[in-house]
Amino acid sequence: MKELITASPLFGIAITIISYTLGLKINRRTGKAIFNPLLIAEILIIAVLIIFKIPFSAYNNGGAIINLFLGPMTAMLAYSIYRERMLVRKHIVAIIAGTVAGSIASIISIILLSHLFGINETLSASLIPKSVTTPIAIAVSASLGGIRSLTVTALLLTGVAGNILAPFMIKLFRVKNRVAQGVAIGTASHVVGTSKALEMGEDIGAISSIALSFSGIVTAIIAILVL
Amino acid sequence: MKVLIELSLLFVLTLIGEAISSILPFTFPGTLIAMFLLLLLMGLGVIKEEHLSTSASFFSRYMAMFFIPAGVEIIENLEMLKTSWIPLVLISIISLFITFLASAKAVELVEALSCKKKGEEK
Repeated sequence: MKELITASPLFGIAITIISYTLGLKINRRTGKAIFNPLLIAEILIIAVLIIFKIPFSAYNNGGAIINLFLGPMTAMLAYSIYRERMLVRKHIVAIIAGTVAGSIASIISIILLSHLFGINETLSASLIPKSVTTPIAIAVSASLGGIRSLTVTALLLTGVAGNILAPFMIKLFRVKNRVAQGVAIGTASHVVGTSKALEMGEDIGAISSIALSFSGIVTAIIAILVL
Repeated sequence: MKVLIELSLLFVLTLIGEAISSILPFTFPGTLIAMFLLLLLMGLGVIKEEHLSTSASFFSRYMAMFFIPAGVEIIENLEMLKTSWIPLVLISIISLFITFLASAKAVELVEALSCKKKGEEK
């Protein structure tokens, strides 16, 4: 009976939508950034899978279908960029400078921190592309000899952390300029952070979208040519 | 019907992006190619804002939901995470802050410089 229910793609889809709805409700009720809907949903699903001993592959029958929408959704970022084209064009030099500086800082900091914490090379290779969008990150990780699923894990962790911490980091580093806010969110926490940027305003979201694609390209070039 | 047309457009574009990506001599994600393609088509006026407005507002509102399955995949790495989750989490968070700081300050620097330049021109 349990297998019959959980093996259906409907199970993965239903539990994802229900958990996310609950996450949104909890987030609205509390109004606290730490109760991030994405994070709540993931914890709920992982808890259900562990408690009821449901294999990830069963969940992923439906999960893969939701995952499939990531492609068209990334393409859809062009819509926000187009709507804010004047703003993007006006700040293009600043956006390029920010994504290049951020990508270099990301790679160097991960290499240094990996040495500091003494983790092995496979692990650090998996971490290096963690700030960029999933498809580029997977390609870079593979070319550096990293582990795919670990890269995805670190990437999601960074994205969710960026999504939750973006308003805090903006306050902490006193980033008043909205262009700088958008570039930093997109460069540091790819498309998951960008979903937060879109919540903060369409202008920030558009700049974040441009920044995430630029930083992906810059990271890929650095990783393939330099590392 | 509008939503269906919008979704068809979006999926076909993504598919074209994937196709272009597969024939490129280097690795470049098809989804980003599709993004640039859509940007180009909108810039040329072939696709107009209203052609995508309904699905755009849905996707930007509920975008985070679509990342959930990839995140749940963590469960497959629990063994490895048991031994090395502390450095992994610390490195991810610390480098997030460093990256955020570096790119935000680089933008602010460039913006400040270009403001100054404009001021001098006047």
